Amino acid sequence: MNLLVTFETGLREVASHKFRSFLSMLGITLGVSSLVATLALTNGIERGTRQFMAQMGGLEMVKVVDKDISSEMLDFWNLSPGRTIQDARAIQESAPLVTYVAPEFDEGMPVSAGGQTMRVRVRGVWPEYGPATDSVIEAGRSIVDLDVDRGTRAVAIGASVASTLWPTLTPQEVLGKTLFIRQVPFEVVGVFQLYERESDRKERERQKNQKRTPHTTQRRWDPFRWKNETVIIPLSTMFYEFQSGLFPDDSLETVRLRDFTFRVGDLDHFQAALAQVRTTLMGTHRNVDDFEFETREEWFDNMNASIRATRTSGGLIAAISLIVGGIGIANIMLASITERVREIGIRLAVGARARDIFLQIIIESVTIAIIGGLLGVFAGLGLIWLLNIVAPSDNTPFVTAGNIMLSVGFAALAGMLSGIYPAFQASRLDPIQALRYE
Amino acid sequence: MPLVLLENVKKYYTLGGQEIRALDGVSLTIEEGEFVAIIGPSGSGKSTLMHLLGCLDTPTDGKMTICGHDVANATPNELAAIRNREIGFVFQSFNLLPRLNVVENVAVPMIYTGAGMRERRKRAMELVEKVGLKDRMNNRPTQLSGGQCQRVAIARALVNDPKIIFGDEPTGNLDSHTGELILHMFTELNQAGRTVVLVTHDPDVAAVTHRVIEIRDGRIRREYDPRKS
Repeated sequence: MNLLVTFETGLREVASHKFRSFLSMLGITLGVSSLVATLALTNGIERGTRQFMAQMGGLEMVKVVDKDISSEMLDFWNLSPGRTIQDARAIQESAPLVTYVAPEFDEGMPVSAGGQTMRVRVRGVWPEYGPATDSVIEAGRSIVDLDVDRGTRAVAIGASVASTLWPTLTPQEVLGKTLFIRQVPFEVVGVFQLYERESDRKERERQKNQKRTPHTTQRRWDPFRWKNETVIIPLSTMFYEFQSGLFPDDSLETVRLRDFTFRVGDLDHFQAALAQVRTTLMGTHRNVDDFEFETREEWFDNMNASIRATRTSGGLIAAISLIVGGIGIANIMLASITERVREIGIRLAVGARARDIFLQIIIESVTIAIIGGLLGVFAGLGLIWLLNIVAPSDNTPFVTAGNIMLSVGFAALAGMLSGIYPAFQASRLDPIQALRYE
Repeated sequence: MPLVLLENVKKYYTLGGQEIRALDGVSLTIEEGEFVAIIGPSGSGKSTLMHLLGCLDTPTDGKMTICGHDVANATPNELAAIRNREIGFVFQSFNLLPRLNVVENVAVPMIYTGAGMRERRKRAMELVEKVGLKDRMNNRPTQLSGGQCQRVAIARALVNDPKIIFGDEPTGNLDSHTGELILHMFTELNQAGRTVVLVTHDPDVAAVTHRVIEIRDGRIRREYDPRKS
């Protein structure tokens, strides 16, 4: 039979009992609004986290660290040269799944210019440092091959280093300035972009627009601090200027690296890439198993797990509300059927089949649920809007069209499930009994 | 082939562990175009017969066909289809749907035929006009008199152009003048060639038909043509 008519009949039923229908919708409305709000909040958190993850270099970053060698291998420990620049070259040559290798020496050193001094971690790097850590140059250039080959005294600095040492200059103006690292003069050749969270950026823009002196905000944990305090110089320069004294017996080729990261090109081949690197390094380390990989997987897994936990708990509240709402609808539908036994009898007498009656009741309850669901969507959007005003957070919640469809879909499902029992009851009525019913 | 054919039809109920023989071997044929009254006191089994003829129920035993359909062995869905297409019902208490207006009430059987909205409305309006309620077509049943309600019910019975019209005490809830008018409508329907079967205990109603079947204790007691007696 015609679905449209049943739908119309359903709407008519809903309209003729406005208050009763509203009460039965209430549960669904609450469920859907909490579902929408939960989805919006987790969307916000998720987007914030993902942005953060992406700017941190992502899952693709793997660190090679020293490992205690097993007791039976102890006799051979000195066979292995350890993690050296040779390893980096070997990986570049024989691990095609690795896109960037970034060997580095780092040391905390005083950095000064124009009377300002700050203590930061200075890194001696290869040109791959930039792409490997997703650091993008704002002005000038990064460290290049020529710098490494010649051991130039070039330095590229993070945005907050630039603004601390030269508070009044723009990144462009900082280029060419001299910066002293432990009294050794370096020329600033590049300044990196400022990295900040969405919320910090908004806050900064707000203050800029209001042209107020930025009042000192309380120092918050800033995940990008290390990135903005970058000071990088060529790996060779780092070794010859600052490290060779510490390792008089070593050359740049044989000295052990402090830190050593590489970046896998494609996460789908993550394990294969690790295997390639392992095989390569086992070669350079002469089969002494004295290194291991430190991936970000676990760290990122924890973040994802907390997002999931938020989503699950919110979803659970929504599910409970939807179940309660569904029971409410089932209750009302059962009452409405008892009230309409005679109508059902009449419909059966003029040719309705059991399944027509079944469908009619189902559609009525789905109609109630969908209307309730739509009200819930608006309530949820309102809730989020209110939340944004009352307590603006770092991760602005937002709703996608898919979220809304999902929420209304769940409402419809709840309506359908709760309609099944009443509909079954109604469709089992005997026409003669139903016609006699007063 | 007769329109209605019953051969030794039985209908038994068990009520409180006791078997009740509502119909105990009824054989009956009704040809197309007949005007029949089924009479009998309450408890005689005439309502049960009416329900069987109206395909609202199936017999316990015996052969029964309506418009060529084997009703005795039909599934509930097949019965619904026969009720929908071959039979039109007019009840004592009108049985209109209170939330629908006149035109919508008349169109209800067409919903289950699968007709489109425009077609339903067009056909229903035709019939509303035919029963003389054109000026009330947007009213609800509660805004109509009993006679008007019964006219709506007749229009509804006719909407799918059925072969047989059943009236179950169709004048029982009406005053005698209105009852006469309704009865006249049934006569006209019969004159137009439709088979009409009325169930009644009112001798005045039975008198206008062409064949009276009297039921007593679940059996046909006698049959006669009121025009000849």
